[in-house]
Amino acid sequence: MRVFLDDMILRRGSFRLSASGLFSEGVHLVTGPVGSGKSTLALALAGAFRPDAGHIVKEGIGSSTLALPFPEYHVTGETLEREAASWGLPPVPVLEAAGLRGRGGEDPISCSQGELKRLVLSCILARNWDLLILDEPYSLLDCTWKATLSGMLGERRRGITVLLTHEDENLPRVDEIWEIQAGRLVSLGKVPGAITRWSRPPGYIRAALEAGALPGNITPDDARDAVCRTQG
Amino acid sequence: MIRITGLSHRVLGIQDLSLPAGRVAAIGPNGGGKTTLLRLLAGIDLPARGEILIDGLPPRSREVGWVGENPGQTILFRRVFDEIASPLRFRNDPCPLVADRVKAVSRELGIMDLLERGTGDLSAGEKAKVALGAALAAGPDILILDETDSNLDQESTGAVEDLIRRASCSHVIQATQRMDLAAQADHLLFLEGGRVLHSGSPTAVFAALSGTPFSPPSRVWCR
Repeated sequence: MRVFLDDMILRRGSFRLSASGLFSEGVHLVTGPVGSGKSTLALALAGAFRPDAGHIVKEGIGSSTLALPFPEYHVTGETLEREAASWGLPPVPVLEAAGLRGRGGEDPISCSQGELKRLVLSCILARNWDLLILDEPYSLLDCTWKATLSGMLGERRRGITVLLTHEDENLPRVDEIWEIQAGRLVSLGKVPGAITRWSRPPGYIRAALEAGALPGNITPDDARDAVCRTQG
Repeated sequence: MIRITGLSHRVLGIQDLSLPAGRVAAIGPNGGGKTTLLRLLAGIDLPARGEILIDGLPPRSREVGWVGENPGQTILFRRVFDEIASPLRFRNDPCPLVADRVKAVSRELGIMDLLERGTGDLSAGEKAKVALGAALAAGPDILILDETDSNLDQESTGAVEDLIRRASCSHVIQATQRMDLAAQADHLLFLEGGRVLHSGSPTAVFAALSGTPFSPPSRVWCR
């Protein structure tokens, strides 16, 4: 199972993003500043449009999905339970997982954006996708659910997960880090080595590095453990 | 001073709450009533029961700048320049003044390069900056930001915070999931289940929330 970016170029007006590289099984973090092209790359990986040059080659991918940053764009059901059912899932456990127990009859529009995002992410993560593309999954979630999501992503054992985000307070365990730098997608390699090559790490990782500690991975716990080990 | 009395609207119930001028941050779990409160303070919705007065006046009689959770939903115009200019044009400001003001706000937000771009081609973060530019262009008394920072990276959040500090709004009310930002507010609200469970200085509210995920990041890592 792999996704190969073969000298791919994406253009939108004056914007241009080039990418070459291989997404193999595991969790891949793609970071970059606002407007660097994370969402454009996510849409291209999902097959929403073709690259302007080069190719995206998918091998062994039987199922794939894209989680959009704003959950309302996913909603098709008139009630929360119908929304869960529209994903082919039993509503009760999904609503339970989303922290929305007993609210199956409510109109999705009556929910807060954060609640709706929890529902959509719970629906998506309830299935085992070969290729799972998550565009800013942390936005709109409260602190508790950010930690829950990181735990769920860190437990994904199979398939390719591409996590595109500027989240800087609560990242999951990942296998590889990519960064969009000046219009080019650059692989920083596997963690932990990639962490030292990261030009814009989140504050807690930067603090660990400045304290002379190299975290084993990129969760806040990894950063804390590394610092504590350094300090004996 | 913002004064809320006998308020009941959707999930939200607030009997009596006073908020000082300056920066107020609202935090709490998803679905706790933050957006409902912000929409009432902005005058977008009217309360089913109760009253909100901002410096003695109802929200709809004040100049309010608003940036919602999904800034793409409030963008009206196809070109970024026109979007930021819209509140000034709606009140018939002269064209040269509109152009100067749009450029000044855009320069401060670091989005001069976006002015001729189509609003439909922007990323979520860029849309958030454009929406903030439109909100600030008319020099609002009250600025309301509903988790705007959730669409922004660290660097952009810092630039936006600097700009908000420099803007001469008497009230800035900001819902956020970033506890480091909440800690910088003058006053902090914690809402859960439609109720204000804590209201006070960030130090006092975070002390009451100690041990929960709603705590500012700590640099004291090893015990």
